[in-house]
Amino acid sequence: MPEWYGPYGGSYVPETLVPALKELELVWKSARRDPEFRSRFQDLARDWGGRPTPLYFAERLTREVGGAEIYLKREDLVHGGAHKLNNALGQGLLALRLGKRRLIAETGAGQHGVATAMIGAKLGLSTEVYMGAADMERQKPNVLRMRLLGATVRPVTQGQQTLKEAINEALRDWIANVQDTHYLLGSAVGPHPFPSLVADFQSVIGRELRRQSRARWGRDPDLVLACVGGGSNAIGTFHPLLRGPARLVGVEARGSGEPSGWGAASLVRGSVGVLHGMRTYLLQDEEGQILPTQSVSAGLDYAGVGPEHAWLKDSGRVEYTSATDREALEAFHRLARTEGILPALEPSHALAVALQRATTLPRDQHVVVTLSGRGDKDLAEVERFGPPR
Amino acid sequence: MGRLGEVLRQRRERGEGSLLTYLMAGSVPPEKFLSCVRAFRAAGVTGLEVGFPFSDPMAEGPVIQRAATLALARGTRWSDLLELLPQVAEELPVAVMTYLNVILRHGGGKALEELRSHGADAVILPDLPLEGLRDLGAHRAVKGLDIVLLASPATGAERLRRLARHTEGFLYLVSRYGTTGLGGGTTPSTKTHALDLTEEIRQVHAERPKLPILAGFGVRHAQDIRSFLQQGADGAIVGSLLQDRLNEEAQVSELDALVRALVQGLAKTSTGP
Repeated sequence: MPEWYGPYGGSYVPETLVPALKELELVWKSARRDPEFRSRFQDLARDWGGRPTPLYFAERLTREVGGAEIYLKREDLVHGGAHKLNNALGQGLLALRLGKRRLIAETGAGQHGVATAMIGAKLGLSTEVYMGAADMERQKPNVLRMRLLGATVRPVTQGQQTLKEAINEALRDWIANVQDTHYLLGSAVGPHPFPSLVADFQSVIGRELRRQSRARWGRDPDLVLACVGGGSNAIGTFHPLLRGPARLVGVEARGSGEPSGWGAASLVRGSVGVLHGMRTYLLQDEEGQILPTQSVSAGLDYAGVGPEHAWLKDSGRVEYTSATDREALEAFHRLARTEGILPALEPSHALAVALQRATTLPRDQHVVVTLSGRGDKDLAEVERFGPPR
Repeated sequence: MGRLGEVLRQRRERGEGSLLTYLMAGSVPPEKFLSCVRAFRAAGVTGLEVGFPFSDPMAEGPVIQRAATLALARGTRWSDLLELLPQVAEELPVAVMTYLNVILRHGGGKALEELRSHGADAVILPDLPLEGLRDLGAHRAVKGLDIVLLASPATGAERLRRLARHTEGFLYLVSRYGTTGLGGGTTPSTKTHALDLTEEIRQVHAERPKLPILAGFGVRHAQDIRSFLQQGADGAIVGSLLQDRLNEEAQVSELDALVRALVQGLAKTSTGP
């Protein structure tokens, strides 16, 4: 499993975490060759997690947009309502193999916290989730769900009180408790081996998508889009398609879209640095301090990005662009009204760009958007922005 | 070797314990910072660790986090550090403690050169592991500026020997699981107590007999320092205890009294090197 993606990645952590990260890598290497581990993982993914997820033809939306055919990879139908379970399930089983009795996690939108709480309950592991106080406020339903699943939600009140600070606190907890605790990191970020481990567990999205599209129209899709915060659903979608012909587009959050604001578009607007144990693109000032971010979507509201995305950007294999809060909300309403699906605000960003691109493409082309989560958690935020224009 | 490393080595040879005290640059106005430094010197402190703030300091407990927030809110910049360093260096040998991103953003090797030319003897980067030294590239060999590595209770014997070989000036031995001070997430583990470091210290000295070893994280009392010296360490580093008072805008005299009490822990013990 690669530690470096070009010049990006690495493992910039305090010495106390070095042995635990090495152990995690070794245990994962042995687990993935172990038929017993693999079959337990696959059984749970199917019977408990609801995999495989459908590749759904959004027929009415396609007709309304008038261009290429638009398909949705329905990760919103995974147990818990988002792709996050793919990784939480895998790492939960690894935690058992490591002999760890306690899980900690960070969460932004709350979906990874929910997924961790679910696997913690399922495996009988004590679970604590760090969540920015501002995110707890805007993603209330997920806070309640985590608590009902038996997890403790720990509010983080430092800084902007969002995902970045939640990761800081989870890392600090891990430094203190690394002997009996597994840090179940939820995005394709952080020190090695987390970015490649998370990509491994999330690649099921792209593998299924490739198989389904080939069965359906005989080849890979022409254009595939996914939203990018830390980048776990996107890396899972892209990975199996990297060697094929599909055009791949990652969509970051541009926030309110004001020219002075950065939103949370670290790939589109950032510069290279080191945060949370990885070298990658960051939103930072000229002094090396991390900048505040802004997005309607808590799951994309992060100043860094997974190191593999940084490399895919530089290499040109994936195009990275951004969508504003407003564009994402319009896409949200459009999908709700044409297809009867309430998407999470995170993939609504990818959907917004997909709709723009699909209109310009011929009808015989196939566009796939990874619908990484469902929108129930976002209803209050959507209401706050008012009805669609 | 930087002046700090040299002083620590000489004190080790003479069987004298050393004490480094930490203060965050920019958390108080420079005049007050320098008053503290002068008081610490008069009290018998060996060297000063000057913290420079980073927005996301993952190895820090609540006290140093708050100090960083205060310093950044006051608009503390790299240029302020460079202005402060020579004045501190007039009083005591200096190690700068910050995070890798700050150094990289100021040019990596160029930043190290600047620290050296402004009087710093050493730099401590808690998120720069042994494997990351190459990130500082050719510039690592900034003459007279030591790059100090940290070891922890989690470090295995083989890695500990490698850290001992590669650290410069001294080895910073983290004495407990956890962040600086008594921190470690919202729920500090019951296991964050200081551990017995005798075996680790023996292994390091077996690898590199002249290398000074300073223990830190959560040091609060003269007795903690005495205990480290008895375990074979060459001294201790005290940060959060003092910075907490500074965060609360305590008078210099209060910090002075704390440091004078800590220095008692250095009084000669029967166990020399």
